[in-house]
Amino acid sequence: MADYKILFTGSVCSGKTTAIKSLSEIETVDTDAKVSDSVIRRKQRTTIAMDYGVLELTDTAKLHLYGTPGQERFRFMWQLMMSDLVADAEALILLVDNTRTDPFKDIRFYVEEFRDYLVKRRLVIAVTHADVRANPDYNYYMNELKRMGLFTTVLFIDARDPADVLKLVKEVVGRREKTVDWQALAEKLSGNSTVPEAVAVPEEVADSGAKPVSLIDAAINTRGITGAMHLGADRKVLSSNVASMQSQALLKAMVNLVSALEQKAAFLGNIDSFMLCGEEQETLSVFVEEEQALGMCSDKGLSLTVVKQQAADLLQWSRDND
Amino acid sequence: MIELLEAVDELDFIEGCCLMQADQVVFSTFPAERRNHETIAKKAFNYVFQNAAKLRSAHDEAHLEIGEKRVSGFLLEGNQILICLSSKHTNIVNVRNNVRELHSGLQQQAQIV
Repeated sequence: MADYKILFTGSVCSGKTTAIKSLSEIETVDTDAKVSDSVIRRKQRTTIAMDYGVLELTDTAKLHLYGTPGQERFRFMWQLMMSDLVADAEALILLVDNTRTDPFKDIRFYVEEFRDYLVKRRLVIAVTHADVRANPDYNYYMNELKRMGLFTTVLFIDARDPADVLKLVKEVVGRREKTVDWQALAEKLSGNSTVPEAVAVPEEVADSGAKPVSLIDAAINTRGITGAMHLGADRKVLSSNVASMQSQALLKAMVNLVSALEQKAAFLGNIDSFMLCGEEQETLSVFVEEEQALGMCSDKGLSLTVVKQQAADLLQWSRDND
Repeated sequence: MIELLEAVDELDFIEGCCLMQADQVVFSTFPAERRNHETIAKKAFNYVFQNAAKLRSAHDEAHLEIGEKRVSGFLLEGNQILICLSSKHTNIVNVRNNVRELHSGLQQQAQIV
């Protein structure tokens, strides 16, 4: 019996758990818990440890499917999985959510995180949610990846559709397992499909039936984050729940400063963040991008790494509802 | 203050530091190829601490991540600003704790003398 392993990774909501559920012939092992941070914007529950499923390809070949948690704060699980459970995996499948503000930022991040792991195995990029946002399209991905020096396979898939996800498996093990009847396998798995009859609105919104969570509300869903201010390309405030006038004024001053510095010192690289702290003060942080900026107030005890991770996620999902 | 600067500069993860007084760098160990970072840090921290003071805020520490580097500014007594350069992957808390400890240690020494 040949045993193959594939590791799925990608940002929160990129479809890792769904893809594994689409393929697995056993009840998948998932470790989801109620969301306690800015991910609340996209879904109520998220994977905190790992996903696991199994697919029998033939009588003599079995595929083990593993999925990492998406949130960067569970990065220790990525390391644990890479060094142990999936140290002998065939490939890393990077699921990329096409609705993120900059999907290539995610690709750069995950390729860097899994760089050593990828030395000995294949990388396949699976673009998801293209039914919600079609662009960037396939050609754009190929050109941009080439520019990044990444020569890899890119497939657009619907993680809810087993036949689609099966294409990834075929891409990874197809050459070695020549006796697999892919058509029959797709038919066998069709019962796992969670594709709705008519796709009209994003899954998360349709399922919950609730009003989408605003960027500001999502920000303060993280324990320790007390306020947020979202600014547009013109650096005017789009929305804010920062109560203190003092903090508001300081955040605006910080955003203006970073914008000015970025113009003058572009040759030094991007300014990722600017933070202002004090012993008895709440921490003020700003994250500035060309099209938008985010200011955040947090308890002085909250790890600055957590603040940065939350801000990065919020900015990556800011285009839809704001 | 020069003693503090020298002590901070000896920390493994600090790649250079400088002391600023009234908009002027009075002492610096910034490597020559990082002078641009020093200039940016000088402008940024001067601006942000002045704004904080104007708004009666007691914020006295700032961190600016630019490219692969981070510059950290610490407002000291007499409106002096200590600026440290490190990799942006260095733990901020580590930078903060070391600078604060060295600062308070030197203050205690000065009182004893």
